[in-house]
Amino acid sequence: MFEFPQIFEFKIGKVVESFVEWLTINYAGFFDSIKTGILFVLLKMQMIFEWIPWFVIIGIVFLVGWKVKGLKSGIAYTIMLFLIGVMGYWDQMIMTISIVLAAVIISLVLGIPLGIISAYKKRVDIILRPMLDAMQTMPSFVYLIPAIMLFGLGMVPAVFATTIYSLPPVIRLTTLAINSVSKEMKEASQSFGATPLQTLIKVEIPQALPTIMTGVNQTTMMAMAMVVVASMIGSKGLGYSVLIAINRTDIAMGFESGLSIVFLAIIIDRLTQSIGTKYKYD
Amino acid sequence: MKKFNKRFFLFFLVLSLILVVTACSSGIEADKEVVEVEKDTVIFGDAGWDSIRLHNAIAGFILENGYGYETEIMPGSSINLLEGMISGDINVMMEMWQDNFIAYKKSREIGEVIELGTNFDDNAQGLYVPRYLIEGDAERGIKALAPDLKTVEDLKKYANLFPDAEDPGRAIIYNGPPSWEATTIIDIKSEFYGLTEDYNIVGTGTSAALAASLSAAYVKGEPWVGYYWEPTWISGKYDLVLLEEAPFDESLWTEEESYACEFKSSDVTIAVNPEFADRNPEVIEFLTNYTTSSLLTAQALAYMQENDASIDEAAKWFIGENEDLWKNWVPEDVYSKVMAALE
Repeated sequence: MFEFPQIFEFKIGKVVESFVEWLTINYAGFFDSIKTGILFVLLKMQMIFEWIPWFVIIGIVFLVGWKVKGLKSGIAYTIMLFLIGVMGYWDQMIMTISIVLAAVIISLVLGIPLGIISAYKKRVDIILRPMLDAMQTMPSFVYLIPAIMLFGLGMVPAVFATTIYSLPPVIRLTTLAINSVSKEMKEASQSFGATPLQTLIKVEIPQALPTIMTGVNQTTMMAMAMVVVASMIGSKGLGYSVLIAINRTDIAMGFESGLSIVFLAIIIDRLTQSIGTKYKYD
Repeated sequence: MKKFNKRFFLFFLVLSLILVVTACSSGIEADKEVVEVEKDTVIFGDAGWDSIRLHNAIAGFILENGYGYETEIMPGSSINLLEGMISGDINVMMEMWQDNFIAYKKSREIGEVIELGTNFDDNAQGLYVPRYLIEGDAERGIKALAPDLKTVEDLKKYANLFPDAEDPGRAIIYNGPPSWEATTIIDIKSEFYGLTEDYNIVGTGTSAALAASLSAAYVKGEPWVGYYWEPTWISGKYDLVLLEEAPFDESLWTEEESYACEFKSSDVTIAVNPEFADRNPEVIEFLTNYTTSSLLTAQALAYMQENDASIDEAAKWFIGENEDLWKNWVPEDVYSKVMAALE
């Protein structure tokens, strides 16, 4: 009935497009060096994982599972991991783990300090929050195409995309955790003459640790969820097998590679979660 | 008491609004029923690339303005759209790249979908490089890095131009998305030409990613080699060169012979749902006559790109420019109606 008047129309997207193109041309060197850096770490990580024999990896998972959760869980994780190998997805799993791990490390390095800052400074929190909303809801291909323009195809834009999606939970939960440390605790520490930094490191962070660990766990799970999207921009791994299977309507292959992702996610989830609860501070 | 009044008033307001709206709309519907008796809404499948969108818009414009059909466009991936067409949720696909689409060939054989005719068949696909790589581009200050690159086999001499960042020391050829038959064929061909000694043939997850990697290289003026096809927006926008291979030969086009020749230009056909076809003979007649060419399609896409036009504007432009072509697809009265709508 009432059409939006055309005089108000302004193509904001065009500005962004020109900006990306300008960046691509003028800052090629800068983005190339970031790319080389991330790629170096990724390739080294992949190399190490490939160098460790498969039974050692399974053994480590069993031991960690046994220690933090119990014998039954340890055995269950071992069987799951073994099944991934049985179905023929071991190499893909290794590649997936390297990408997920790289993204998680970047997320934590950026996310935990940012979360602490935004717990202290209200203004940072106000600016940060809509950005985190955008990171979680913006359809990933919207920023993936510019990412490919800047970083090329393959593992680097995959890590970039995964980081964008998995960063918000750790920031949010760190902020929440620090904010919910009880006032009395802080006051007590201050009254003993602790500096703000000492209060943060010796009281607030240990108190907040279980919630922060939940954030770490959520971040890891988010990163796992991006595996298929990451494969759409040319990164190999379990996601790529899923993608091939979907496109060929190959139900068998889809099921196997999908199940491998689920197994991997369960193992990572349970391990990080129980490590989190181990830190519980009573 | 006051609160109750307010609520009652609101309720009344909403009720009257609903009444007005329904009264209006039923009035409109009643009018329509007199004029035209139950015409199907023609639902086109939009598989996501530019030329199919353009053809949807052209056919849609003619069907709407010439025949009085409502049209709708349903986006999806080609495999999902095919399923949709089998079940009848989608009526028409304007482009079926049958040589790249195994599932479609199966469905056509068992009669789940009906093929109407060829939309265009003068297309090309294969390994492309940007033209500035061979000839240089004085305007942008790009030197010709590979002046003697003409055929696919020549790539062997230039492996150092296309380094693979993820695998130092080796070169990279960007291949298509994993599901496409062409992707498999490029893999086999590369082996045959001996390219796999120096090159990694890397599959890109989606056609969007492939396009983005080409765009990035092109704006920077860097070397790039990979699978692409025409007509596309990209091939209209950028100046690309198809690397030569031996002329197409049916006997070479098998896996045993490593597909050791150029791609046959693929018949891109129009397909419809069989029940829809039974109900709407005039639409079928129109779509059977619908034939364009790769060149015409590319022109319209280039127009769109140059003038920053929407797909509908490009379709109108196409219809205006190629009057003599589409005049033969439709009856006299439809022709005059479409021409009237164009103004």
